[in-house]
Amino acid sequence: MSGTATGSLGVLSLLLLLLAGTPIGVALGLVGLVGLTLTLGLEPALIKSAVLMFETMTRYELGTLPLFILMAHLCFAADASRDFFNVAARFLGHRRGGLAYASVAGCAGFGAINGSSLATTATIGLVAVPEMRSRGYSDALATGSVAAGGTLGQMIPPSGALIVYGIVAEQSIGSLFAAALVPGITQMLSYLLVIALLVVWKPGIAPSLPRASWPERMAALRRMLDIGLLVLVVTGGIVLGWVTPSEGAAVGAAGAFLICLFRRRLTLATLHRALAETLKTSGLIYLVIIGALVFAAFISVTGVTESISQGIAGLGLGPVGTMLLVALFLLLVGSVLDGLALMLLTTPILLPVVADLGLSPIWFGIFLVRAMEIGFVHPPIGMNLYVIQGVAPDVPLSRVFKGVLPFLVADLMHLVLLVVFPVIAMGLLQWMGK
Amino acid sequence: MDVHMKRLRDLLVWVAGGALLVAMVVDTSAMLGRQLHLPLLGAIEIVQAAVLFGSAGALLLAALEHSHARVHLLLDRLPGSWQSWLTRLHAVCALTLYLGLLGGSAWIAADLWNGQEHSELLHLPYRPLRLAVVFTLLMLLGHAALRLKKKART
Repeated sequence: MSGTATGSLGVLSLLLLLLAGTPIGVALGLVGLVGLTLTLGLEPALIKSAVLMFETMTRYELGTLPLFILMAHLCFAADASRDFFNVAARFLGHRRGGLAYASVAGCAGFGAINGSSLATTATIGLVAVPEMRSRGYSDALATGSVAAGGTLGQMIPPSGALIVYGIVAEQSIGSLFAAALVPGITQMLSYLLVIALLVVWKPGIAPSLPRASWPERMAALRRMLDIGLLVLVVTGGIVLGWVTPSEGAAVGAAGAFLICLFRRRLTLATLHRALAETLKTSGLIYLVIIGALVFAAFISVTGVTESISQGIAGLGLGPVGTMLLVALFLLLVGSVLDGLALMLLTTPILLPVVADLGLSPIWFGIFLVRAMEIGFVHPPIGMNLYVIQGVAPDVPLSRVFKGVLPFLVADLMHLVLLVVFPVIAMGLLQWMGK
Repeated sequence: MDVHMKRLRDLLVWVAGGALLVAMVVDTSAMLGRQLHLPLLGAIEIVQAAVLFGSAGALLLAALEHSHARVHLLLDRLPGSWQSWLTRLHAVCALTLYLGLLGGSAWIAADLWNGQEHSELLHLPYRPLRLAVVFTLLMLLGHAALRLKKKART
């Protein structure tokens, strides 16, 4: 059997295993191991896989992921997760749709201490959705704005998905974080614009509320000061290159530890809970990373990516046309695979194709995460929709989807803009000379 | 979860979590030291070792708590008998992967046992690190085997 045929068979087997519900890391690793055995022989396959596993587990950059997760859990223990929403709600709540703006801003703020879309949706959803519903906001706007806003957790640095991509694609995590800033901010602005248009079109869906007094606003702002400063130091430090992403994660976790201590929320039980949750999440991601690296090693020896590259070049679509086609492919496959599986299945295959097109792997990371995020809010997977339904069980899923639909349109437009104008992601890096 | 399992889980959390806290303190000190022109030599090597112990514990904890990420789209919609059959298939897949990784890791560890492998600056020996990986894979293998046995009975 030729290398390309083995590679194609491997990809097909992986897809079937994933759809059969096999743990993502196990499916990736097993297909990689069996594929390497078929192409190189048993001994090289075992040695190569074991070397990849040891190298991954002793990788300095690997510390970035659990330390950022620990930072988020310690912030959660310090009861700081709702502070961003509270501040935004005090400042914007009196405007029509103000609490929906505050939800999106709260998601962006919480996204800066936590790299997960689901965690952001669940945390902000718990505070914002009941608040909006009790103030007469429509169920669709209340749930839709948080489900969409939650995806900001994945894009605004520190982003778990970008760290995983950086490790698998061997790209600088600091550069990925810097490149994600403008797309993250423009994504947030696009959601704010959607809310503004919705409330102009149907003012009844978001009534105006009494204006919060300045002492109330200042009190909320004071409470957020420590976490805000920590976010500024960590994200700013990484983006400006003062600290490496691993150091930034360590400083973030240490800062969150101190905040927890000063807020008198740190006990052995809270520390144990934060560590346990951190390890559990990191463990599942580590297995996926190890599996993805073994799978990538298999794909690289089959020559399947060269065949795909040649096939794509034969279409003569150019970089923009090709990436729009890739976006369509990702959205279709994203309907059956969840974000992490989608990213790790496609990265080893598409990254060489992207390189052949002369596009930056950093830009591709941002593009991939942006496409992944869309999968979080569109059925049938749309995990954020289910998370929000968990927060408001009496709101039918169809209503949550109706609420998220305008944001989904904004997402698709934003993705197209990212393809047509790569400068949205690369501009800041170029300006900083990175 | 029975008492022994709970104790094992707690121990795992403190050991692997402790390694993470070591990485946190060392990396933060290294960063502060660099800003104050007091470089902490070998900090990266300590963090690397701590990351290995942390990730080993994390892999075990994720397996113990069955929290591995998977695609639920079809699985949740299948009849019970199909689900049970697929769960067995998942355990066989995990068993095969861990066996392969264990074979390779043990092979390399045996080959390099007398090789005096150590880090460059602090001369931290690699033997305990390689042993930790082999031990982790053994535990994962045992866990997958137990799970398969349990599923085969039901």
